[in-house]
Amino acid sequence: MINLQEQIGLFKIIGSQLKNNVECIAIGGSAMMFYGAKNATKDVDLVFLKEEDLIAVKKILYSSGFDERKNIKGIFREDEDSGKPVMMDGKETRFDLFLNEVIGYKIHEKVIERIRDIHEFSNFIVKTASPEDILMMKGCTERERDRDDAAELIRKFNIDWSIIVNETSQQTKIGIAAFPLLLYDFLRELEDNFTTDVPEHVMEELLIIAEKRIKELSKKDQLIKVTKYKK
Amino acid sequence: MDLMSIAKKLEGLQTIDSIAKNLDINRRTAINYIWMLRKKGFVETIYGKRKIRMYKISPIKTPRLGYPGLYEYLNQYSKIKVYAPYTNRIYDHKPTTEEIIAKAVKTGDLRTILSSLALFNKVKNWQRLSKIARKELIGRKIGALYDAAKTIIKVRHIDKRARKALLNSKIENKYIVKNARTKDLKQIENMWKVYLPFNKADLEAYKE
Repeated sequence: MINLQEQIGLFKIIGSQLKNNVECIAIGGSAMMFYGAKNATKDVDLVFLKEEDLIAVKKILYSSGFDERKNIKGIFREDEDSGKPVMMDGKETRFDLFLNEVIGYKIHEKVIERIRDIHEFSNFIVKTASPEDILMMKGCTERERDRDDAAELIRKFNIDWSIIVNETSQQTKIGIAAFPLLLYDFLRELEDNFTTDVPEHVMEELLIIAEKRIKELSKKDQLIKVTKYKK
Repeated sequence: MDLMSIAKKLEGLQTIDSIAKNLDINRRTAINYIWMLRKKGFVETIYGKRKIRMYKISPIKTPRLGYPGLYEYLNQYSKIKVYAPYTNRIYDHKPTTEEIIAKAVKTGDLRTILSSLALFNKVKNWQRLSKIARKELIGRKIGALYDAAKTIIKVRHIDKRARKALLNSKIENKYIVKNARTKDLKQIENMWKVYLPFNKADLEAYKE
């Protein structure tokens, strides 16, 4: 586990060794620490929009004592290679480096527009994803600690639910077709287990989006495939 | 209602009156709420025109580490305030005025650039400004903006060497703000061979 100060220290090390400007988006616990919504995180999740940026950071992490984890099956969808991160294991923390998407959640223009903070560490520029996007990305996973984080996000932030609905509609087209169903299940679970308040109309709209997508796909003789992650 | 829910409900900029209206309470109770919220660290007070107090309320106590970035710096030192589309923090070093000017020009945003003109009176190291500007390929743009600023506000004198370096520097394109050209400051435009984005009337904002 690392706290914000240690995370900043690591980012400074990366920034000082980069030769050119590298931009990335912090998501998950890493972003939540920047928002002051979490004290420590187990893994630092970063999304890059350029492959060369990811490779540059990976090289620096390697030279700083982080080793790449080769076998990452069992955590992510078995049948999908896309969205799998480069995992760099350190002594006390792990960097998960994603490229353009996070386990099927596509990073596009709107996600970038919603960015709230920009943190500069010399040549390393870390932007923080909006709480809405972090919440939706958490919805793609099945990890227990992600549910805790999501519940905390809903509790602490004024979540703009219209963003969630619009983005779900977008992601089901460009990302995982089953995204609204996964998110629906995730939010229902949060309501049941963490007594978080999710407006009922949002839940209804998620189902409508899912039904609409199923109809669209069935016209093309396709089905929505829902593959849950291994626990 | 607990303080967290109140902070969530009031998130954003508020005045005492708007708080009273939002929560349907009287002014005195609104002042008490602000006092309690401030104690919990949910409130930051800023002053509007005529020294009217405004309260920036957020349910999240964001840690303020590092040094202020572009927008915070501009709002601190320039008369023309800008809306910050995002929070910017710099961690590895304290940003210099010269760096902030270059960053402002690179945004390509009219108001941000207009606001940055005030910083020409704070430049201490013209060589540094010239070096950054040339590296970012905005040298002549910065030179033209300096001359434009000189027409309306007091600025520090640029040293000849830096001016010459800026004048001979390469730029990516002639527009400081995309497709914006001046009607009044043609002489400066011709000298620096770039298009200035504002007219004299825009610069009058510094005299208000």
